[in-house]
Amino acid sequence: MKSKINKLTLPVLFLAPVFLIYTIFLFVPMLQTGYYSLTQWNGVSEKVFIGLGNYKELLKNNDYWITFFNTLKLTAVSLIVQISFGLLLAYLLYTKVRGMKIFRTVFFLPVVIAPVAIGLMFSLFYNSEIGIFNKILYAVGLDMLQTNWLSNPKTLLYAVMASQVWQYIGLYVTIFLGALQSIPEDLIESAQIDGAGEVKTFFHVVLPQLSVFLNICMVLCVTGSLKAFDHSYIMTNGGPGVRSAYLGVFMYKTAFGNSDFGMGSAITITIILISLTITLLFNRFSASGSEN
Amino acid sequence: MKNFSKKAFALAVTAALTVSMAACGSKDSSDNTSSSQTANSTAAVSTADTAQKKVSLVLSTNWGEGDSKYNYFYPKFQEFQNANKDSMDISFETYSTEDYKTKIKTQISSGNLPDAFTYWGGAMMNVMVEAGLLLDVDEYFKASQTVKRENFEPSSFSYYTAADGKTYGVPLESTRGVFLVNTEIFKQNGLTVPKTYDELKQVSKVLNDKGIIPIAMASSGGTPSEFFFSELYNQYNGAADELKNLTASRKFNTANAVKVAANIQDMINNKMFPKDTVANGGWAACLQLYTDKKAAMTYTYPWMFESIPEEIQKISEVVPIPKLPDADIDPAAIMSGFTVYGFEINKATFNDSEKHDAMIKLCDFLASDDLSINLSKSGMIPAKKVNVDMNGQKVIYQKMMAYAADKKLIQVHFSTMPSLDALNMFDSSLDELFIKALEPQAFVDKIQAVLDKNSK
Repeated sequence: MKSKINKLTLPVLFLAPVFLIYTIFLFVPMLQTGYYSLTQWNGVSEKVFIGLGNYKELLKNNDYWITFFNTLKLTAVSLIVQISFGLLLAYLLYTKVRGMKIFRTVFFLPVVIAPVAIGLMFSLFYNSEIGIFNKILYAVGLDMLQTNWLSNPKTLLYAVMASQVWQYIGLYVTIFLGALQSIPEDLIESAQIDGAGEVKTFFHVVLPQLSVFLNICMVLCVTGSLKAFDHSYIMTNGGPGVRSAYLGVFMYKTAFGNSDFGMGSAITITIILISLTITLLFNRFSASGSEN
Repeated sequence: MKNFSKKAFALAVTAALTVSMAACGSKDSSDNTSSSQTANSTAAVSTADTAQKKVSLVLSTNWGEGDSKYNYFYPKFQEFQNANKDSMDISFETYSTEDYKTKIKTQISSGNLPDAFTYWGGAMMNVMVEAGLLLDVDEYFKASQTVKRENFEPSSFSYYTAADGKTYGVPLESTRGVFLVNTEIFKQNGLTVPKTYDELKQVSKVLNDKGIIPIAMASSGGTPSEFFFSELYNQYNGAADELKNLTASRKFNTANAVKVAANIQDMINNKMFPKDTVANGGWAACLQLYTDKKAAMTYTYPWMFESIPEEIQKISEVVPIPKLPDADIDPAAIMSGFTVYGFEINKATFNDSEKHDAMIKLCDFLASDDLSINLSKSGMIPAKKVNVDMNGQKVIYQKMMAYAADKKLIQVHFSTMPSLDALNMFDSSLDELFIKALEPQAFVDKIQAVLDKNSK
């Protein structure tokens, strides 16, 4: 009995700080947010319990659905562009390029720059008066594509998305490159001896070896998109209206801009629920995929 | 032996972690200990020394570095601080305007409001009034030896008067909206200043052909478009009353509002504004088009005068906005003019007997003639009845005051909008209107929906 207690003491002692930190800074605030979401509260006055009132109102709120779909669009675009470009660039670096370390550093550089700086930089690039994008388009004879990137409802959201999607491609390049370097060379060599071309080798030998890393990257990509905030907030403050806002920006503007902490909390809870749902679905699919 | 070492090392690390966490946790208690020690030692000193004890106060403002008022406010504040350094310890907190709004809102929620702070009235102070955080400034006027309510323009208090009829802010800044034309550009292109909408259309066509933006007007976060919208709104019959009663009536959805929105879209269709209304939105970016001579006209406010170079001030004239096609009121007879800024007093601090006298001193400084006169050099029109020496003012300020002399002053939505979320919706929907993402009626409906939601 005594030895059992002794065996438990060490893990408990090690886990206690983490458990405490998570409880105090994550679970308790999350529960509090859940409670606030059931109230009408401006952050100062007494909270008035209104049950699911905020959620019902949210479902009827057109702006909420715009930001919801903006977030979904960002997630989809990030998954498609970041993962595929990350993988492609990593594979090119792995197979073709001399000075791979330099390129790896160059690709990774934007990842370590603050999103605020990237957002500001892109908003200057898009500026119709001084921005470089329209000037480049004009210089290469594509002046018919010139537009007011942040004032055109058709391009606005994608212009804001582009800065975030571009910034983090380097992260996936680095992860995939590390993963590619961990694949035993004899696997690839034996496939090539058996007559597999480069494309076949990539899809039938390399890609299956990367499945775990692909899963990790996809989770990173999805979670990064669901909590997207900085680029949209810095470049357009989520506007005009909420046309370039994601759920995080909408939550912030509702809670802190309108001093509506009850509704802001309800939006937060929906973000958590969406994240949990996507993560659970993703885990289920990836588990069944690996079983197959 | 090896296992024992591992265990010992692990235990040592765990102990270190626990102790450091405990140390973090006990920071407050150790602080309390030291402060109670200070308290004990303070108790031991003589009564005379206690009278000399410094009072700590926090003064917050957005008039920090980069703001047009900083150069006129900060030296005066330093003078005040030096004069009172033996009795007061004032923490001076400044943030840029948007960060400042967020900071105050966060401080309201965390119960950590500054002792005195410059802030807006109307919808923006309602939360603090409802929570009983602000002092009825009549209590301050009663306690002050030097500053009285009668020293201010009576109408200037309306912006800080809440639904309960009490006033919760000391007005400092009154303002006027000005439509400026660059006379040099007009002369160079053989144009005359437009008075009607048709004339404006013709002028805009000529200017556009020359690569000049007719009017530097855009919308980012509702600036400066919301004030422009209000100025146009007042060209219609009944609009002034609708605006005045907006706080009580909560009715934004009026025929006049739809007309103004439709006219703005027509102005956009006639290329009167910059192509990119988001990138060129905001006070500074918008004005810069005018000061860089890229735009021939603009609509701005005195708090931006500091950013207008002297040579541009000289070639600028204040003129009426051209009359809209379906408008009723002559724009040459009206001008937006209202109280826009002042300071508010933390009720708890004011009623704290230890800080009471120091608070009166600090408020007396903020409401002093000297400070108001000095701030007027930045373009501010004092809400206090003070004698401003016009010769010492900027050229553009002098032109504005001369123009305003015979004008009927009108309100704007910014000061009468009943709730913060409606004001925010007004701003963000204007951004959408300017990029033609909303039709005029849809724009009006969005704002009305927020007002209706709040009135339920």
